[in-house]
Amino acid sequence: MSAGDIHACDDWLCCPLKNLEEAQAAIAACREEEKWQEVVTGLDSIAVQFDPAVMSPDEAIDLFTEQLLHPSIASIGSSTPITIPICYDPEFAPDREWLAEKMGLSADALIAWHSGLSFKVTMLGFMPGFAYLQCQEAIADIGRLPKPRQKVPAGSVGIIGDQSCVYSFDSPGGWPIVGRTPLKLFDPNRDDPALLSANQSVCFEPIDRAEYETIKAKQDSEDSA
Amino acid sequence: MTLTVVKPGLQTTLQGAPFSGHRHLGMPAAGAADCLSVALANRLVGNPLDATAIEITLDDAKFTVGQANLVALTGAACFLRINGKDRPVHSPIPVTPGDEIHIGPSDKGCRSYLAVAGQIAAQSVLGNQSTYLGAKLGGYEGRTLKTGDKIKINEGSDVKTSGAETPSGLRPIMSKGHIIRITIGPEYSALSHNAQKKLFDKKFTIGARANRMGLALQSTPLEQHDGPQMKSAPVFPGTIQCPPDGEPFLLGPDAQTTGGYPRIAQVIRADRHLIGQLRPGSDVQFVRISPVQATEIYRQKLALLTPWLGAVSLW
Repeated sequence: MSAGDIHACDDWLCCPLKNLEEAQAAIAACREEEKWQEVVTGLDSIAVQFDPAVMSPDEAIDLFTEQLLHPSIASIGSSTPITIPICYDPEFAPDREWLAEKMGLSADALIAWHSGLSFKVTMLGFMPGFAYLQCQEAIADIGRLPKPRQKVPAGSVGIIGDQSCVYSFDSPGGWPIVGRTPLKLFDPNRDDPALLSANQSVCFEPIDRAEYETIKAKQDSEDSA
Repeated sequence: MTLTVVKPGLQTTLQGAPFSGHRHLGMPAAGAADCLSVALANRLVGNPLDATAIEITLDDAKFTVGQANLVALTGAACFLRINGKDRPVHSPIPVTPGDEIHIGPSDKGCRSYLAVAGQIAAQSVLGNQSTYLGAKLGGYEGRTLKTGDKIKINEGSDVKTSGAETPSGLRPIMSKGHIIRITIGPEYSALSHNAQKKLFDKKFTIGARANRMGLALQSTPLEQHDGPQMKSAPVFPGTIQCPPDGEPFLLGPDAQTTGGYPRIAQVIRADRHLIGQLRPGSDVQFVRISPVQATEIYRQKLALLTPWLGAVSLW
């Protein structure tokens, strides 16, 4: 990047980035800076927000440029890989058959196929803890649902080709749903409220309905403790 | 002490400071949609300027008082009545047990703020008490207030207020038309030359889809060049995005943290409190300024507010 790539609004700056690794290094450098009120990444860009009473846009551009040119090396790839339990019970996977048909697989083969894939978190956004995942294997783009759902339950795992997502709260949504995890994607009472973080490696491990209920009950009791 | 909700109105929530420093986790700002009005209300009852207050939207609302206290109303409401008797807005008003506080509907503007001395004790999430409705977090069980809800007020507060009213020059004037200053956004060039001109030459009307997440900007469609689709990128309250259908929308305090439509403009921080007072049918005229001018305007605005409010920041 160069300073010319930075776009300045009155209290935030943004800059395009080449890839996730570059983004991760840039975030690490920017996070160490207390003058940024927010450091947010997109899929191929980063933005920082500042208080215009404290810093002028020009001062902010100088600081941001310096940090983007000298990214922190220490934290690259430091996220621990995570295995997310997922239940493919038909009730939790309303689009399993639709997906299987699109992929030319049987419903059972779809489970084996999906749980064999590996993903990387590209960013959190849309809702607190909502994770966008990039599949590391090539998958045909099967598109969004023709009609979005009014309510997709928290924990639902969506997939539209090599892009995937995990819903952190009940919300409307148009991603075909392949299964559901009992894990809480966002819990403001945890030290790290979000379960996932950008650049983290993710894979899914199939669990049955009973295991789902056990983990869910445990999560809920921790919640009320 | 408590305030009991008798009539909640359309959308009444507990709101104060925005959530800060959590956008990378997907956590929106939330907080008072009109940060200036909430600061003015808190000032009148001796609270910190960003203390949690009751944010009332368009409709009228009623509360009953559990214990003697001091309240103040600012924002869009057309009246404040205690036990049916008109009382002044922008003024600290003593209330006693059993009193009914009636906050009038908005005839201009959109949101009113009722501050209570001693501060509201709301649910704290990530070190903040504002309500984020999208994930049902904070405030009063993460939701809008309902009839019968009892809002707790911290006990043992030592209410200190001079009893003075907001100076008339600092009272925001509620209007159905606003001039709002913007800087151009990163994808401004996605707009056609003609659309770039229209963004500043024509007015926009707020559509029916208007809430804490965002407001539809209607009546002036903006054409775009056919370019490659952009990838989801960071957005902030006050960002104006323009989807391919040409009807831009202005993001509010509850806006999600990233968005995939061109970010054509950004409302400057000094004017962002006005977004909280836009309502369906309001007219908006945008004026383009540079980021450097915006900084100057923001600092001058704070300087004008400081003699009355003390150290203040807007969001």
